[in-house]
Amino acid sequence: MQKQMLIILAFIAASLVMSACGGAPAAQPTQPTAQPTQPAAQPEGKLAQIRAAGKLIVGTSADYPPYESIDENGNFVGFDMDLIRAIGEKLGVEVEIRDMPFDSLIASLQEGKIDAVIAAMQATAEREEKVDFTIPYRMTKDAFIGAGDTTITLNKPEDAAGLTIGAQTGTVQEGWIQKNLVAKGLTPADKVFSYERADQAALDLARGRIQLVLMDAEPALELAKQNGLKVLLITEETAEGGKSIAIPEGASDLKAELDRIIQQLIDDGTVKQLQDKHGLP
Amino acid sequence: MEFVQDLLTTFNFIVQGLWVTISVTAVALTTGVVIGIVLAIVRVYGHPFLQIAVIIYSVVIRAVPVIVIIFILFFVISRYVNLSPFWAGALALGFASGAYQTEIFRGALQAVQSGQMIAARAIGMSRLQAIQSIVLPQAVRLALPAWGNEATLVLKDSTLVFAVGVPEILRRAQQVSARTFEPFLAFGVALLLYLALTLITTQALRWLERRYRLQM
Repeated sequence: MQKQMLIILAFIAASLVMSACGGAPAAQPTQPTAQPTQPAAQPEGKLAQIRAAGKLIVGTSADYPPYESIDENGNFVGFDMDLIRAIGEKLGVEVEIRDMPFDSLIASLQEGKIDAVIAAMQATAEREEKVDFTIPYRMTKDAFIGAGDTTITLNKPEDAAGLTIGAQTGTVQEGWIQKNLVAKGLTPADKVFSYERADQAALDLARGRIQLVLMDAEPALELAKQNGLKVLLITEETAEGGKSIAIPEGASDLKAELDRIIQQLIDDGTVKQLQDKHGLP
Repeated sequence: MEFVQDLLTTFNFIVQGLWVTISVTAVALTTGVVIGIVLAIVRVYGHPFLQIAVIIYSVVIRAVPVIVIIFILFFVISRYVNLSPFWAGALALGFASGAYQTEIFRGALQAVQSGQMIAARAIGMSRLQAIQSIVLPQAVRLALPAWGNEATLVLKDSTLVFAVGVPEILRRAQQVSARTFEPFLAFGVALLLYLALTLITTQALRWLERRYRLQM
């Protein structure tokens, strides 16, 4: 009786383990698996290793559409995903995308679990200490928005001179207004309004209490759609920095090659085309 | 009608994580049972030095958040041993659960009356034989209710393995929610799946308890 029970327990345990082994999820390759060409004795340099493996393993955090998300069929979709596949094509390797929380990406890259990170990531000083970044593949853009019935037209950021304008406290945009409009005497200081959140600025804009709001372009488009506001100008001039691909620290050969490919994709219009495809400003 | 359509699409997507959640939980519980039973026996009947080692393991592991154990296994240990995210996550959960299960089985072993051991030795069994055939079978029965509780906790801790990139139920719900902007639907489906898993587990264990109850 007791023996019988031990045997049953052991059997359950064993079958659980076996079923679990069978169910271990394989990382999803984005293309049908191409056979890795040669096993190769550990080659020098990150780029050579990737080439030898025939595979670029890229980490992302697939919860940030339109940059990266997962569609109903479980495929990685979005601007970043299309871009990294285009880069993989130029490199001549297969691209394998792995989804993980944004916070785990840098650690995974440092530990060599992945070869690169593409996740709408900005090359901040703190991140630069841990990993390297390619040149930006997309510059951050800002938008000037006005009320739905506004008659203001802007051709360049400086055209905002003299108008009442709102921005989010402590942002790059507020800094630009202070430096380029207020400090130069174009706009009186009492015509600049700071808001805790950008959507509060948009509400004041809709009520007619201010004439313009300067903010990040992507949420601006969404806000404008929701509140019936008008996008007057989208510009890189007021913004700082851009989105880059993160790679392991010191992988200079990989950086040189990726920088070259990114520049090429910007120059031949591929990046612009992908931005339009995903509705990015 | 559109809601039903949305619900079906959401469900079909999230349910693909069900198997991952079940696998992670099964590996973790199995690892935990093996660790738990062996260490509990050592803790109760082992050499004093080994007993201290078991106490240290149990205290340290129970003091550390499970997520930290997962990170250590995935980012530190797997520098030396090639562990996939799945195995790193599942085994880390198993090590953590092992500490709790050690305490569960220790309590159960100590609850078996000492006369049982004495009587077994008196009829000529070795210590190991006595543990294996007399004490342990009774202890496992005593441990079942507490073990069932631990099983449901491990099931819910399995959500943590996403930290190293294993797409289980909760992560799939997050992915849907990010795409559709309908968090209520996505997390509602996840809730129902966890509820179903927990109910099935507790029912199965209740059946086991009844099946092997001792007539005293």
